[in-house]
Amino acid sequence: MAEVKNTTINTEIDIEALMAEEKRERKANRGKKPGSFLYICRRVWHTPTAMVGVGIIVIMYILSYSSPFICKFPFAKVDIMHKYALPGVAGHLLGCDELGRDILSRCLYGARYTMSIGIFSTAFTQVLAIPLGAIAGFFGGIVDTLIMRFLDVFQAFPQILLAIAIACVLGIGFNKIIIALGISGIAGSARMMRAQILSVREQEYVEAATSIGCSTPRIIAKHIVPNAISPLIITMAMGVAGAGLAASSLSFLGFGVQPPNPEWGNMLANARNYVRDYPHMVVIPGIFIMATVLSYNMIGDAVRDALDPRLKD
Amino acid sequence: MADNKICDFLSVRDLEVEYSSGGEVIHAVNGVSFDVESGKTLGLVGETGAGKTTIAKSILRILPDHATKAVRGQIFYKGQDLLAMPLDEMRPFRGSQISMIFQDPMTALNPTKVVADQISEGLVLHQGLDKAAARVEANKMLEMVGISSDRADEYPHQFSGGMKQRVVIAIALACNPLLLIADEPTTALDVTIQAQVLDLIADLKAKLNTAMILITHDLGVVADQCDSVAIVYAGQIVESGSKEQIFDHPTHPYTIGLFGSLPDISKDVDRLSPVEGLPPDPTNLPAGCKFHPRCPKATEACAQGEIPNKELAPGHFCRCINI
Amino acid sequence: MIRYIIRRLLALIPVLIIVALAIFTLMYFVPGDPATIALGDTADQATILAAREAMGLNRPYIVRLAEYLEKLFLHFDFGVSYTYGTVVGDELMNRFPHTLTLAICCTLFTVIFGIPLGVRSAVKAGKFEDEVTRFLTLLFSCMPGFWLALLLVLLFALKLKWFPSSGYKSAKYFVLPVLSNSLGSLAGITRQTRASMLEVIRSDYVVTARSKGLPERKVIYGHALPNALIPIVTNIGTRFGFMLGGTTITETIFSIPGIGSYMITSINSRDYNAVQGSIIYLAFMFSFMMLVVDCVYAFIDPRIKAQYTRKKRKAAE
Repeated sequence: MAEVKNTTINTEIDIEALMAEEKRERKANRGKKPGSFLYICRRVWHTPTAMVGVGIIVIMYILSYSSPFICKFPFAKVDIMHKYALPGVAGHLLGCDELGRDILSRCLYGARYTMSIGIFSTAFTQVLAIPLGAIAGFFGGIVDTLIMRFLDVFQAFPQILLAIAIACVLGIGFNKIIIALGISGIAGSARMMRAQILSVREQEYVEAATSIGCSTPRIIAKHIVPNAISPLIITMAMGVAGAGLAASSLSFLGFGVQPPNPEWGNMLANARNYVRDYPHMVVIPGIFIMATVLSYNMIGDAVRDALDPRLKD
Repeated sequence: MADNKICDFLSVRDLEVEYSSGGEVIHAVNGVSFDVESGKTLGLVGETGAGKTTIAKSILRILPDHATKAVRGQIFYKGQDLLAMPLDEMRPFRGSQISMIFQDPMTALNPTKVVADQISEGLVLHQGLDKAAARVEANKMLEMVGISSDRADEYPHQFSGGMKQRVVIAIALACNPLLLIADEPTTALDVTIQAQVLDLIADLKAKLNTAMILITHDLGVVADQCDSVAIVYAGQIVESGSKEQIFDHPTHPYTIGLFGSLPDISKDVDRLSPVEGLPPDPTNLPAGCKFHPRCPKATEACAQGEIPNKELAPGHFCRCINI
Repeated sequence: MIRYIIRRLLALIPVLIIVALAIFTLMYFVPGDPATIALGDTADQATILAAREAMGLNRPYIVRLAEYLEKLFLHFDFGVSYTYGTVVGDELMNRFPHTLTLAICCTLFTVIFGIPLGVRSAVKAGKFEDEVTRFLTLLFSCMPGFWLALLLVLLFALKLKWFPSSGYKSAKYFVLPVLSNSLGSLAGITRQTRASMLEVIRSDYVVTARSKGLPERKVIYGHALPNALIPIVTNIGTRFGFMLGGTTITETIFSIPGIGSYMITSINSRDYNAVQGSIIYLAFMFSFMMLVVDCVYAFIDPRIKAQYTRKKRKAAE
């Protein structure tokens, strides 16, 4: 009898010791576990291209918000004497537009729009799209049909048309563009998620999870989504960049941020008429768009490599 | 066995394979030498992660290139060094003369192709058959491994695990190879099927007079199927010899440990004795004998220097200094 | 399979009805009065009111919606353009070929160059060639299409004078629009193909294929690529749709009279019928494309086909 008791106590102590050990280990390994947020941050930190991207974005943001104070020429100041000035003329580093407004100052001020629209609208899209796609792909049958038909309605429009249509109704402005672009991306992302889930769902480890009694939400969240998500990461990374691109396209067509606010897309739309004689008006804002989108893409690539080491090397 | 004279059929000499992973170098195979004679079966026995599969894949040169850092040594097949050949010259050997049965039938088959096409592909390539003739052959192969040819046009996902493994075997044997490498062909299958699959391999092998390297961690399978045995530990062969030499006179402490962990109905023991401890970390192998940290007979001398391969009896080698 | 396609085609009808309904409702709430726009700012109040009555704009929403849907689905009548007074349906039929040609050329260009480039890049992963491809595709995927279009016009039309800068008379006119509209997609497909190939290229069945002695080209294109195609096809499908819409910008820049440029002018002039018509038309074509994509899935992945067939069997019981 006494012996039995002893064993029990011993076991308990062992378990406690093990748990303490486990806790210590977890603490020591914080940020080392692949897939954890900290781990991703560390990997991004150690990727030079991604840090260049982060650097560009941060510097652009700082310059954008400080531009009214540091730029010699305010972005809205009209100077007829120097209209169409080429880069370098009269202290205008990147030249002037058709009203003699300083292009550098305008580009810097305008950075805030394109850069923020990309992030916010992608977040808006993914928060709604990933659960929708995952649920549709996992359950199949009637749920799938319902969700997919619902999305079909959205996806019956090419993305940019949908964004234009929503922008028409919501009106024009910074917040509205974010919502318009966000909604327009949902169907595409959800569909892709579903296609991935369809191929992952058949895998053995999903059956294994089901067999050990994992609840369905847990299986979706812990087993299916992480395994289905890697191709989506590129899409998402491109999503931030892509939404920035789409935002400037909308402005280019006249549906985005409106003049006289100097958004890159509407600057280009305006400069289009002068492309033959004053190409610098077209080239410069485009380079700003490209640099921003490139930065987002480089960060996105590093995040992807961190999430899925198989895709690297 | 590990002498300089090479065997007519297959001789592996001083094979070393290094992988790299996350900046660390993994020493998967560390100087392995063995011979296989035509028509005979060699069993490679060892724990998971001992480097058995890496040895097998080196022979076919199908190691994953992104991870493989270095492959050194020689693999002589009928006198030609497979490792020294340009890949284009080596490739015709794959499938036609040397073929492999993979460990996991679930992932070894292409999910987007019907099984008959996966079998007939090799026939078209190596035997110059046209598609229709290869198809007939493929159906014959399916029948031979016990699958009705009615199912030739089905996809892998329509088969059970055991049947998939039969298909994998059919693919491997389609071109009557002279050397078959079977990498734990039964690990993924359930016990009743295991025996069937092994018998199937043995039958086909006898019919076609194929030599075989059988990779396994199951000593029972070795006793049934093999002519000679090599015990692999941490990327080295620690003991090798004929089946009788190894089973009747196991000498290396690790081999003895492996036999100790087997149930034996002729002896009345309360507990089986497993080999204590875990296999060493392949990025940081111990100096001297790789087994000494787990070895019951280890002495200080075991941790120093290269351990020589002693010949105990003709053909029976053992890598231990305390015998 | 055929049963499945028919079922999907039938399922398209309610989708299109909802699309029409949604678009009509959206347009209903868009600020701006078509009667005023049709008559111009100079018209007096009485004339405008009379016009509103004549155009049926004063009737309740429900009545107008029902009438619109009835005309559209029973008579395929998109109505008459407010600004031009032309029949919208005819206008669409005349313009659609331009949009479609552009979208198809762009997609073909993208697929023909993008997939092989991506596969090569994946096979050579980490090597110099891969690095160059990755750098260039990254650069191109970061360029706004309309900016690229302007640069191409600047270089090839204005400076070098190799290609015309606007119009649609011959194949030559389509070179710049196709290039500017598809270089970004080309980069995207290349990157997607590379990523997707890297996922499958290390699979066991690829090793099996190699162990049969197949030449590397067959291993890659015969065994790995078919398994990598699902996300690529999805991507191409969505991009085709994107191009149907993305041509909007290209058409505007290169003055090609397609549906996109029609829609943009119509939106700007609040020409309800024309906007609704062009969007519904594009929606139909796009949904149809998506159906094609789903069918392509079944051809490349037998496991998905099995699901469709299972549905079919269930339906037959």
